[in-house]
Amino acid sequence: MAADAFRDRTAIAGVGYAPFSRDSGVSTLTLAVDAITAALDDAGLTVDDVDGLATHRVGDSTPPWVVAPALGLDDLRWYLDQFGGGSVSHAIVGQAAAACALGFADVVVCYRAINARSEFRMGATGRGPSPTHDAQYQAPYGYFAPPQQFAMMARAHMTKYGTTTGHFGQVAVQQRANAALNPRAMRRDPITAEDHAASRWVVEPFRLLDCCLETDAACAVVVTTAEHARDLRRPPVDIAAAAWGGGHTFLNEGRRELTVTGAAALAPRLYAQAALGPSDIDVAELYDCFTYSVIVQLEDYGFCAKGEGGPFVASGATTLGGALPVNTHGGFLSEGYVHGLNHLAEAVQQLRGQAGARQVPGAEVALSTSQPGYVMGSTSALILRGAR
Amino acid sequence: MTAPVEDRDSAPWWAAVRAHRLTVQRCDGCATLRFPPRSVCARCRSRASAWVEVCGRGTVASWVVVHHAFLPVYAGAVPFAIALVRLAEQEDLVMYGDLPGTAPGELAPGLAVRAVFEDVEPGLTVVRWRPERSA
Repeated sequence: MAADAFRDRTAIAGVGYAPFSRDSGVSTLTLAVDAITAALDDAGLTVDDVDGLATHRVGDSTPPWVVAPALGLDDLRWYLDQFGGGSVSHAIVGQAAAACALGFADVVVCYRAINARSEFRMGATGRGPSPTHDAQYQAPYGYFAPPQQFAMMARAHMTKYGTTTGHFGQVAVQQRANAALNPRAMRRDPITAEDHAASRWVVEPFRLLDCCLETDAACAVVVTTAEHARDLRRPPVDIAAAAWGGGHTFLNEGRRELTVTGAAALAPRLYAQAALGPSDIDVAELYDCFTYSVIVQLEDYGFCAKGEGGPFVASGATTLGGALPVNTHGGFLSEGYVHGLNHLAEAVQQLRGQAGARQVPGAEVALSTSQPGYVMGSTSALILRGAR
Repeated sequence: MTAPVEDRDSAPWWAAVRAHRLTVQRCDGCATLRFPPRSVCARCRSRASAWVEVCGRGTVASWVVVHHAFLPVYAGAVPFAIALVRLAEQEDLVMYGDLPGTAPGELAPGLAVRAVFEDVEPGLTVVRWRPERSA
Protein backbone atom coordinates (compact mmCIF):
# COMPACT_ATOMS: atom_id res chain seq x y z
CA MET A 1 0.00 0.00 0.00
CA ALA A 2 1.37 3.41 -0.86
CA ALA A 3 2.17 5.57 2.13
CA ASP A 4 -0.53 8.10 1.38
CA ALA A 5 -3.12 5.33 1.16
CA PHE A 6 -2.57 4.54 4.85
CA ARG A 7 -1.81 7.99 6.22
CA ASP A 8 -4.60 9.32 8.47
CA ARG A 9 -7.01 6.59 7.34
CA THR A 10 -7.34 5.25 10.89
CA ALA A 11 -7.50 6.73 14.35
CA ILE A 12 -7.24 6.01 18.03
CA ALA A 13 -10.66 6.65 19.48
CA GLY A 14 -10.17 5.66 23.09
CA VAL A 15 -7.60 4.81 25.73
CA GLY A 16 -7.99 3.03 29.05
CA TYR A 17 -6.02 1.65 31.94
CA ALA A 18 -6.24 -0.83 34.75
CA PRO A 19 -4.72 0.66 37.92
CA PHE A 20 -0.91 0.65 38.24
CA SER A 21 0.43 -1.18 41.27
CA ARG A 22 3.14 -3.48 42.59
CA ASP A 23 0.60 -6.20 43.29
CA SER A 24 -2.70 -6.09 41.46
CA GLY A 25 -4.09 -9.07 43.34
CA VAL A 26 -5.95 -10.07 40.19
CA SER A 27 -5.28 -12.08 37.03
CA THR A 28 -3.96 -10.61 33.80
CA LEU A 29 -7.36 -11.50 32.34
CA THR A 30 -9.03 -9.23 34.86
CA LEU A 31 -6.50 -6.48 34.12
CA ALA A 32 -7.16 -6.86 30.39
CA VAL A 33 -10.92 -6.70 30.82
CA ASP A 34 -10.65 -3.59 33.02
CA ALA A 35 -8.42 -1.74 30.54
CA ILE A 36 -10.48 -2.78 27.50
CA THR A 37 -13.71 -1.71 29.16
CA ALA A 38 -12.19 1.62 30.20
CA ALA A 39 -10.87 2.31 26.68
CA LEU A 40 -14.25 1.51 25.10
CA ASP A 41 -16.02 3.76 27.59
CA ASP A 42 -13.54 6.53 26.79
CA ALA A 43 -14.45 6.16 23.12
CA GLY A 44 -18.17 6.02 23.77
CA LEU A 45 -18.37 2.43 22.59
CA THR A 46 -19.32 -0.86 24.20
CA VAL A 47 -18.00 -4.39 24.02
CA ASP A 48 -20.71 -5.15 21.47
CA ASP A 49 -19.04 -2.75 19.03
CA VAL A 50 -15.75 -4.68 19.10
CA ASP A 51 -14.89 -6.95 16.19
CA GLY A 52 -11.13 -7.21 16.67
CA LEU A 53 -8.63 -7.76 19.49
CA ALA A 54 -4.84 -7.55 19.50
CA THR A 55 -2.18 -8.10 22.12
CA HIS A 56 1.46 -8.98 22.52
CA ARG A 57 3.01 -11.09 25.21
CA VAL A 58 5.93 -13.28 26.18
CA GLY A 59 3.99 -16.02 27.92
CA ASP A 60 3.04 -13.61 30.69
CA SER A 61 -0.49 -12.54 29.82
CA THR A 62 -3.92 -13.62 28.67
CA PRO A 63 -4.39 -14.06 24.92
CA PRO A 64 -7.27 -12.73 22.78
CA TRP A 65 -8.73 -16.20 22.45
CA VAL A 66 -9.37 -16.17 26.20
CA VAL A 67 -10.28 -12.49 26.56
CA ALA A 68 -12.81 -12.61 23.72
CA PRO A 69 -15.03 -15.37 25.15
CA ALA A 70 -14.62 -13.89 28.64
CA LEU A 71 -16.26 -10.74 27.27
CA GLY A 72 -18.88 -12.65 25.32
CA LEU A 73 -17.34 -11.85 21.96
CA ASP A 74 -18.26 -15.00 20.10
CA ASP A 75 -17.25 -14.06 16.58
CA LEU A 76 -14.24 -11.79 16.24
CA ARG A 77 -13.57 -10.82 12.64
CA TRP A 78 -9.88 -10.23 13.29
CA TYR A 79 -7.39 -10.89 16.06
CA LEU A 80 -3.67 -10.82 16.68
CA ASP A 81 -1.76 -12.71 19.37
CA GLN A 82 1.73 -11.38 18.75
CA PHE A 83 4.70 -12.99 20.44
CA GLY A 84 7.07 -10.39 21.76
CA GLY A 85 7.86 -7.75 24.30
CA GLY A 86 8.33 -4.03 24.09
CA SER A 87 9.70 -4.07 20.58
CA VAL A 88 6.29 -5.01 19.14
CA SER A 89 4.09 -2.87 21.39
CA HIS A 90 3.37 -0.43 18.59
CA ALA A 91 3.42 -3.06 15.85
CA ILE A 92 0.17 -4.55 17.15
CA VAL A 93 -1.49 -1.14 16.89
CA GLY A 94 -0.11 -0.62 13.40
CA GLN A 95 -1.40 -4.00 12.32
CA ALA A 96 -4.80 -3.28 13.88
CA ALA A 97 -4.90 -0.02 11.93
CA ALA A 98 -4.02 -1.85 8.73
CA ALA A 99 -6.84 -4.30 9.42
CA CYS A 100 -9.28 -1.42 9.88
CA ALA A 101 -8.02 0.42 6.81
CA LEU A 102 -8.56 -2.69 4.70
CA GLY A 103 -11.95 -3.50 6.17
CA PHE A 104 -11.03 -6.67 8.01
CA ALA A 105 -12.37 -5.06 11.17
CA ASP A 106 -13.98 -1.83 12.27
CA VAL A 107 -13.25 -1.54 16.01
CA VAL A 108 -10.08 -3.24 17.27
CA VAL A 109 -9.02 -2.99 20.89
CA CYS A 110 -5.26 -3.41 21.43
CA TYR A 111 -4.30 -4.31 24.98
CA ARG A 112 -1.32 -5.27 27.09
CA ALA A 113 -1.95 -6.76 30.52
CA ILE A 114 0.87 -7.83 32.82
CA ASN A 115 1.61 -8.51 36.43
CA ALA A 116 5.21 -7.48 35.77
CA ARG A 117 6.04 -7.07 39.46
CA SER A 118 3.97 -9.59 41.38
CA GLU A 119 4.02 -12.54 38.97
CA PHE A 120 6.46 -12.20 36.06
CA ARG A 121 9.26 -9.82 37.01
CA MET A 122 10.13 -8.11 33.79
CA GLY A 123 13.63 -7.25 34.98
CA ALA A 124 14.26 -11.00 35.30
CA THR A 125 14.98 -11.05 39.04
CA GLY A 126 14.21 -14.55 40.24
CA ARG A 127 13.17 -15.77 36.82
CA GLY A 128 16.47 -17.01 35.46
CA PRO A 129 17.52 -17.49 31.87
CA SER A 130 16.14 -19.58 29.06
CA PRO A 131 19.48 -20.86 27.79
CA THR A 132 18.36 -21.79 24.27
CA HIS A 133 19.13 -20.42 20.84
CA ASP A 134 21.72 -17.65 20.98
CA ALA A 135 21.20 -17.23 24.73
CA GLN A 136 22.99 -20.56 25.27
CA TYR A 137 26.28 -18.71 24.72
CA GLN A 138 25.43 -16.06 27.34
CA ALA A 139 23.38 -17.68 30.09
CA PRO A 140 26.28 -19.67 31.60
CA TYR A 141 27.91 -16.38 32.62
CA GLY A 142 24.77 -15.06 34.30
CA TYR A 143 24.02 -12.77 31.36
CA PHE A 144 20.30 -12.85 30.68
CA ALA A 145 18.59 -9.81 32.22
CA PRO A 146 17.43 -6.77 30.27
CA PRO A 147 19.37 -4.33 32.50
CA GLN A 148 22.55 -6.21 31.59
CA GLN A 149 21.78 -6.20 27.88
CA PHE A 150 21.05 -2.49 27.69
CA ALA A 151 23.93 -1.59 30.01
CA MET A 152 26.30 -3.33 27.60
CA MET A 153 25.16 -1.04 24.78
CA ALA A 154 25.11 2.03 27.03
CA ARG A 155 28.76 1.41 27.93
CA ALA A 156 29.66 1.25 24.25
CA HIS A 157 27.92 4.59 23.72
CA MET A 158 29.84 6.12 26.62
CA THR A 159 33.09 4.83 25.19
CA LYS A 160 32.44 6.03 21.66
CA TYR A 161 30.74 9.37 22.29
CA GLY A 162 31.62 10.44 25.82
CA THR A 163 28.08 10.01 27.09
CA THR A 164 28.08 10.04 30.89
CA THR A 165 26.08 8.58 33.74
CA GLY A 166 25.22 12.22 34.47
CA HIS A 167 23.41 12.34 31.13
CA PHE A 168 21.49 9.20 32.11
CA GLY A 169 20.61 10.90 35.38
CA GLN A 170 19.13 13.89 33.58
CA VAL A 171 16.68 11.61 31.78
CA ALA A 172 15.55 10.20 35.13
CA VAL A 173 15.26 13.63 36.76
CA GLN A 174 13.29 15.17 33.89
CA GLN A 175 10.85 12.30 33.63
CA ARG A 176 10.23 12.32 37.37
CA ALA A 177 9.40 16.02 37.14
CA ASN A 178 6.78 15.14 34.50
CA ALA A 179 5.42 12.30 36.62
CA ALA A 180 4.91 14.75 39.49
CA LEU A 181 2.21 16.30 37.26
CA ASN A 182 0.60 12.95 36.42
CA PRO A 183 -1.96 11.63 38.92
CA ARG A 184 -1.60 8.14 37.44
CA ALA A 185 2.16 7.93 38.01
CA MET A 186 3.55 5.51 40.58
CA ARG A 187 6.56 7.69 41.44
CA ARG A 188 5.73 11.36 41.89
CA ASP A 189 8.33 12.66 44.35
CA PRO A 190 10.84 14.86 42.51
CA ILE A 191 14.42 13.61 42.36
CA THR A 192 17.71 15.41 41.77
CA ALA A 193 20.87 14.52 39.89
CA GLU A 194 22.39 13.84 43.31
CA ASP A 195 19.63 11.36 44.11
CA HIS A 196 20.37 9.58 40.86
CA ALA A 197 24.10 9.48 41.53
CA ALA A 198 23.48 8.12 45.04
CA SER A 199 21.16 5.32 43.97
CA ARG A 200 22.66 1.84 44.06
CA TRP A 201 24.28 0.19 41.10
CA VAL A 202 22.16 -2.47 39.44
CA VAL A 203 24.40 -3.23 36.50
CA GLU A 204 27.12 -0.68 35.81
CA PRO A 205 26.74 1.73 34.13
CA PHE A 206 23.09 1.64 35.29
CA ARG A 207 21.97 2.65 38.75
CA LEU A 208 18.57 1.89 40.23
CA LEU A 209 17.15 5.18 38.95
CA ASP A 210 18.23 4.31 35.40
CA CYS A 211 15.93 1.29 35.42
CA CYS A 212 12.21 1.39 34.74
CA LEU A 213 9.65 0.27 37.25
CA GLU A 214 8.18 -3.21 37.22
CA THR A 215 4.43 -2.74 37.31
CA ASP A 216 1.21 -4.69 37.52
CA ALA A 217 -1.06 -2.91 35.07
CA ALA A 218 -2.90 -2.96 31.80
CA CYS A 219 -3.46 -0.45 29.06
CA ALA A 220 -5.74 -0.55 26.03
CA VAL A 221 -6.34 1.60 22.98
CA VAL A 222 -9.29 1.52 20.58
CA VAL A 223 -8.39 1.61 16.88
CA THR A 224 -10.99 2.33 14.21
CA THR A 225 -11.27 4.13 10.90
CA ALA A 226 -10.72 7.88 10.91
CA GLU A 227 -14.25 8.24 9.58
CA HIS A 228 -15.80 6.23 12.40
CA ALA A 229 -13.68 8.02 15.00
CA ARG A 230 -15.26 11.32 14.00
CA ASP A 231 -18.65 10.09 15.17
CA LEU A 232 -17.38 9.08 18.62
CA ARG A 233 -17.03 10.73 22.00
CA ARG A 234 -13.46 12.07 21.93
CA PRO A 235 -11.53 14.34 19.59
CA PRO A 236 -10.06 11.89 17.06
CA VAL A 237 -6.34 11.24 16.97
CA ASP A 238 -5.34 10.01 13.54
CA ILE A 239 -2.58 7.51 12.85
CA ALA A 240 -0.36 9.43 10.44
CA ALA A 241 2.16 6.60 10.18
CA ALA A 242 2.85 3.16 11.58
CA ALA A 243 6.00 1.16 10.97
CA TRP A 244 7.52 -1.98 12.35
CA GLY A 245 10.23 -4.44 11.54
CA GLY A 246 13.86 -3.54 11.08
CA GLY A 247 16.16 -3.66 13.97
CA HIS A 248 18.79 -6.07 15.03
CA THR A 249 19.39 -7.92 18.21
CA PHE A 250 22.28 -8.18 20.55
CA LEU A 251 21.87 -11.88 20.54
CA ASN A 252 22.97 -12.08 16.95
CA GLU A 253 26.18 -12.22 15.03
CA GLY A 254 27.56 -9.37 13.02
CA ARG A 255 27.21 -6.50 15.44
CA ARG A 256 30.02 -4.26 14.28
CA GLU A 257 28.23 -1.20 15.66
CA LEU A 258 26.77 -1.36 19.14
CA THR A 259 25.45 2.19 19.42
CA VAL A 260 22.86 2.24 16.62
CA THR A 261 19.44 0.70 17.15
CA GLY A 262 16.87 -0.63 14.71
CA ALA A 263 15.07 2.69 15.08
CA ALA A 264 17.66 4.27 12.79
CA ALA A 265 16.45 2.02 9.97
CA LEU A 266 12.78 2.38 10.86
CA ALA A 267 12.63 6.17 11.32
CA PRO A 268 13.01 7.14 7.64
CA ARG A 269 10.17 4.81 6.65
CA LEU A 270 7.99 6.15 9.44
CA TYR A 271 8.59 9.81 8.62
CA ALA A 272 8.09 9.22 4.89
CA GLN A 273 4.75 7.56 5.53
CA ALA A 274 3.58 10.56 7.55
CA ALA A 275 5.19 13.05 5.14
CA LEU A 276 6.69 14.63 8.25
CA GLY A 277 10.14 14.93 9.78
CA PRO A 278 11.64 15.16 13.24
CA SER A 279 11.12 18.93 13.36
CA ASP A 280 7.36 18.39 13.01
CA ILE A 281 7.12 16.33 16.21
CA ASP A 282 5.66 18.33 19.10
CA VAL A 283 5.93 15.65 21.76
CA ALA A 284 7.77 12.31 21.85
CA GLU A 285 6.97 9.35 24.05
CA LEU A 286 10.11 7.21 23.74
CA TYR A 287 10.40 3.66 25.07
CA ASP A 288 12.37 4.04 28.28
CA CYS A 289 13.11 0.64 29.72
CA PHE A 290 16.34 2.36 30.78
CA THR A 291 17.48 5.97 30.67
CA TYR A 292 19.97 5.18 27.91
CA SER A 293 17.17 3.97 25.64
CA VAL A 294 15.84 7.54 25.48
CA ILE A 295 19.23 8.97 24.58
CA VAL A 296 19.89 6.55 21.75
CA GLN A 297 16.40 7.03 20.30
CA LEU A 298 16.74 10.83 20.31
CA GLU A 299 19.65 10.22 17.96
CA ASP A 300 18.17 7.41 15.88
CA TYR A 301 14.86 9.25 15.34
CA GLY A 302 16.83 12.26 14.14
CA PHE A 303 16.22 14.81 16.89
CA CYS A 304 19.95 15.39 17.33
CA ALA A 305 23.19 14.23 15.74
CA LYS A 306 24.50 10.74 16.43
CA GLY A 307 26.35 10.75 19.72
CA GLU A 308 24.71 13.99 20.88
CA GLY A 309 21.77 12.45 22.74
CA GLY A 310 23.30 13.00 26.17
CA PRO A 311 24.10 16.70 25.69
CA PHE A 312 20.70 17.16 23.98
CA VAL A 313 18.96 15.94 27.14
CA ALA A 314 21.26 17.96 29.38
CA SER A 315 20.38 21.11 27.41
CA GLY A 316 16.83 20.88 28.72
CA ALA A 317 15.36 20.41 25.23
CA THR A 318 13.48 17.32 26.39
CA THR A 319 11.77 18.92 29.40
CA LEU A 320 8.11 19.95 29.38
CA GLY A 321 9.08 23.52 28.52
CA GLY A 322 11.73 22.48 25.99
CA ALA A 323 11.69 22.20 22.22
CA LEU A 324 10.82 18.49 22.32
CA PRO A 325 9.06 17.37 25.50
CA VAL A 326 9.81 13.68 26.03
CA ASN A 327 7.90 11.15 28.12
CA THR A 328 5.46 13.69 29.46
CA HIS A 329 3.76 11.07 31.65
CA GLY A 330 7.00 10.14 33.37
CA GLY A 331 7.56 7.09 31.21
CA PHE A 332 8.28 3.60 32.46
CA LEU A 333 10.81 5.16 34.80
CA SER A 334 8.17 6.98 36.84
CA GLU A 335 4.60 6.48 35.58
CA GLY A 336 4.81 2.72 35.37
CA TYR A 337 5.64 -0.07 32.98
CA VAL A 338 3.00 -1.34 30.61
CA HIS A 339 5.49 -2.41 27.96
CA GLY A 340 4.72 0.36 25.45
CA LEU A 341 1.01 1.03 25.20
CA ASN A 342 1.02 3.53 28.06
CA HIS A 343 3.34 5.69 25.93
CA LEU A 344 0.81 5.61 23.13
CA ALA A 345 -2.07 6.36 25.49
CA GLU A 346 -0.20 9.41 26.83
CA ALA A 347 0.46 10.63 23.28
CA VAL A 348 -3.27 10.40 22.56
CA GLN A 349 -4.14 12.43 25.64
CA GLN A 350 -1.55 15.08 24.71
CA LEU A 351 -3.04 15.43 21.23
CA ARG A 352 -6.56 15.71 22.65
CA GLY A 353 -5.37 18.47 24.97
CA GLN A 354 -6.38 16.38 27.97
CA ALA A 355 -3.02 15.94 29.69
CA GLY A 356 -3.78 18.35 32.52
CA ALA A 357 -0.85 20.01 34.26
CA ARG A 358 1.63 18.24 31.97
CA GLN A 359 -0.08 19.31 28.73
CA VAL A 360 2.28 20.44 25.98
CA PRO A 361 0.63 23.62 24.68
CA GLY A 362 -0.62 23.29 21.12
CA ALA A 363 0.66 19.73 20.63
CA GLU A 364 -0.55 18.51 17.23
CA VAL A 365 1.87 15.74 16.24
CA ALA A 366 3.32 13.04 18.49
CA LEU A 367 5.84 10.24 18.07
CA SER A 368 5.40 7.15 20.21
CA THR A 369 7.93 4.35 20.06
CA SER A 370 8.57 0.80 21.15
CA GLN A 371 11.77 -0.77 22.37
CA PRO A 372 14.25 0.37 19.77
CA GLY A 373 15.42 -2.91 18.37
CA TYR A 374 18.19 -4.18 20.59
CA VAL A 375 16.14 -7.18 21.69
CA MET A 376 14.48 -9.73 19.42
CA GLY A 377 15.52 -7.93 16.28
CA SER A 378 12.46 -5.76 15.91
CA THR A 379 11.09 -2.34 16.67
CA SER A 380 7.92 -0.36 15.95
CA ALA A 381 6.56 3.16 16.24
CA LEU A 382 3.62 5.40 15.39
CA ILE A 383 3.20 9.05 14.48
CA LEU A 384 -0.13 10.45 15.63
CA ARG A 385 -1.85 13.61 14.52
CA GLY A 386 -4.44 15.40 16.59
CA ALA A 387 -7.55 16.49 14.75
CA ARG A 388 -9.15 18.65 17.40
CA MET B 1 26.21 -22.10 36.56
CA THR B 2 23.30 -22.27 34.13
CA ALA B 3 24.06 -25.04 31.67
CA PRO B 4 23.46 -24.21 28.02
CA VAL B 5 20.80 -26.02 26.02
CA GLU B 6 22.73 -27.31 23.04
CA ASP B 7 20.99 -27.73 19.72
CA ARG B 8 21.77 -29.41 16.43
CA ASP B 9 23.63 -26.36 15.14
CA SER B 10 25.66 -25.72 18.26
CA ALA B 11 26.55 -29.25 19.37
CA PRO B 12 29.88 -29.36 17.44
CA TRP B 13 30.92 -26.02 18.95
CA TRP B 14 30.26 -27.18 22.50
CA ALA B 15 32.06 -30.46 21.79
CA ALA B 16 35.12 -28.48 20.70
CA VAL B 17 34.94 -26.36 23.85
CA ARG B 18 34.93 -29.54 25.91
CA ALA B 19 38.17 -30.41 24.10
CA HIS B 20 39.50 -26.93 24.99
CA ARG B 21 39.43 -25.71 21.41
CA LEU B 22 37.79 -22.41 20.43
CA THR B 23 36.21 -22.74 17.00
CA VAL B 24 34.00 -20.86 14.57
CA GLN B 25 32.53 -21.84 11.21
CA ARG B 26 34.19 -20.84 7.94
CA CYS B 27 31.92 -20.64 4.92
CA ASP B 28 33.04 -22.85 2.06
CA GLY B 29 31.47 -20.43 -0.39
CA CYS B 30 32.94 -17.07 0.63
CA ALA B 31 35.34 -17.87 3.50
CA THR B 32 33.46 -15.61 5.92
CA LEU B 33 33.84 -16.72 9.52
CA ARG B 34 30.71 -16.94 11.62
CA PHE B 35 29.55 -17.35 15.18
CA PRO B 36 27.12 -18.34 16.67
CA PRO B 37 26.82 -21.63 14.74
CA ARG B 38 24.39 -21.60 11.83
CA SER B 39 23.68 -23.98 8.98
CA VAL B 40 23.74 -21.16 6.44
CA CYS B 41 26.05 -18.28 5.59
CA ALA B 42 24.32 -14.92 6.07
CA ARG B 43 26.55 -13.39 3.40
CA CYS B 44 26.46 -15.84 0.44
CA ARG B 45 23.78 -18.27 1.70
CA SER B 46 26.03 -21.26 1.15
CA ARG B 47 25.06 -24.29 3.21
CA ALA B 48 28.60 -25.67 3.24
CA SER B 49 31.05 -24.80 5.99
CA ALA B 50 33.94 -26.12 8.04
CA TRP B 51 34.87 -25.72 11.69
CA VAL B 52 38.16 -23.85 12.14
CA GLU B 53 40.09 -23.08 15.30
CA VAL B 54 40.67 -19.43 16.17
CA CYS B 55 43.62 -18.04 18.11
CA GLY B 56 41.61 -17.28 21.22
CA ARG B 57 42.63 -13.64 21.38
CA GLY B 58 40.27 -10.70 21.26
CA THR B 59 39.52 -7.25 22.58
CA VAL B 60 36.84 -5.98 24.93
CA ALA B 61 34.19 -4.13 22.91
CA SER B 62 32.01 -3.37 25.93
CA TRP B 63 31.36 -4.67 29.40
CA VAL B 64 29.02 -4.46 32.37
CA VAL B 65 29.54 -4.93 36.07
CA VAL B 66 26.73 -6.89 37.67
CA HIS B 67 25.88 -5.70 41.20
CA HIS B 68 22.30 -6.90 41.54
CA ALA B 69 21.95 -10.63 42.14
CA PHE B 70 19.26 -11.53 39.62
CA LEU B 71 19.21 -15.05 41.05
CA PRO B 72 20.13 -16.17 44.57
CA VAL B 73 23.00 -18.20 43.13
CA TYR B 74 24.80 -14.97 42.22
CA ALA B 75 24.50 -13.37 45.67
CA GLY B 76 28.00 -14.41 46.63
CA ALA B 77 29.51 -13.55 43.26
CA VAL B 78 28.53 -9.91 42.76
CA PRO B 79 30.02 -7.59 41.72
CA PHE B 80 31.38 -9.33 38.65
CA ALA B 81 32.06 -8.24 35.09
CA ILE B 82 30.72 -9.67 31.84
CA ALA B 83 32.41 -8.61 28.62
CA LEU B 84 31.53 -8.56 24.95
CA VAL B 85 34.69 -9.68 23.17
CA ARG B 86 35.55 -9.14 19.52
CA LEU B 87 37.70 -11.98 18.24
CA ALA B 88 40.97 -11.09 16.54
CA GLU B 89 40.12 -12.90 13.29
CA GLN B 90 37.12 -10.84 12.17
CA GLU B 91 35.37 -7.74 13.52
CA ASP B 92 31.88 -9.19 13.61
CA LEU B 93 32.85 -12.31 15.53
CA VAL B 94 31.70 -11.53 19.04
CA MET B 95 31.44 -13.70 22.11
CA TYR B 96 30.22 -12.96 25.61
CA GLY B 97 31.99 -14.16 28.69
CA ASP B 98 33.07 -13.44 32.23
CA LEU B 99 36.56 -12.78 33.53
CA PRO B 100 37.16 -14.69 36.75
CA GLY B 101 40.00 -13.28 38.82
CA THR B 102 39.87 -9.93 37.05
CA ALA B 103 38.76 -6.91 39.07
CA PRO B 104 35.99 -4.98 37.29
CA GLY B 105 38.17 -1.88 37.52
CA GLU B 106 40.73 -3.47 35.21
CA LEU B 107 38.32 -3.47 32.29
CA ALA B 108 38.74 -0.84 29.62
CA PRO B 109 37.70 -0.38 26.00
CA GLY B 110 39.95 -2.38 23.72
CA LEU B 111 41.50 -4.39 26.53
CA ALA B 112 43.29 -7.40 25.04
CA VAL B 113 41.96 -10.68 26.37
CA ARG B 114 42.57 -14.36 25.80
CA ALA B 115 40.17 -17.27 26.04
CA VAL B 116 40.63 -19.78 28.81
CA PHE B 117 38.67 -22.98 29.30
CA GLU B 118 37.10 -24.10 32.54
CA ASP B 119 35.74 -27.56 33.14
CA VAL B 120 32.80 -26.69 35.37
CA GLU B 121 31.39 -30.16 35.85
CA PRO B 122 31.43 -33.43 33.94
CA GLY B 123 30.12 -32.65 30.45
CA LEU B 124 30.18 -28.88 30.87
CA THR B 125 33.12 -26.74 29.85
CA VAL B 126 32.86 -23.00 29.26
CA VAL B 127 35.03 -20.32 27.67
CA ARG B 128 36.07 -17.50 29.96
CA TRP B 129 38.39 -14.56 29.37
CA ARG B 130 41.57 -13.28 30.95
CA PRO B 131 43.44 -10.04 30.25
CA GLU B 132 46.66 -10.43 28.28
CA ARG B 133 49.43 -9.29 30.60
CA SER B 134 52.10 -7.23 28.92
CA ALA B 135 55.53 -8.49 30.01
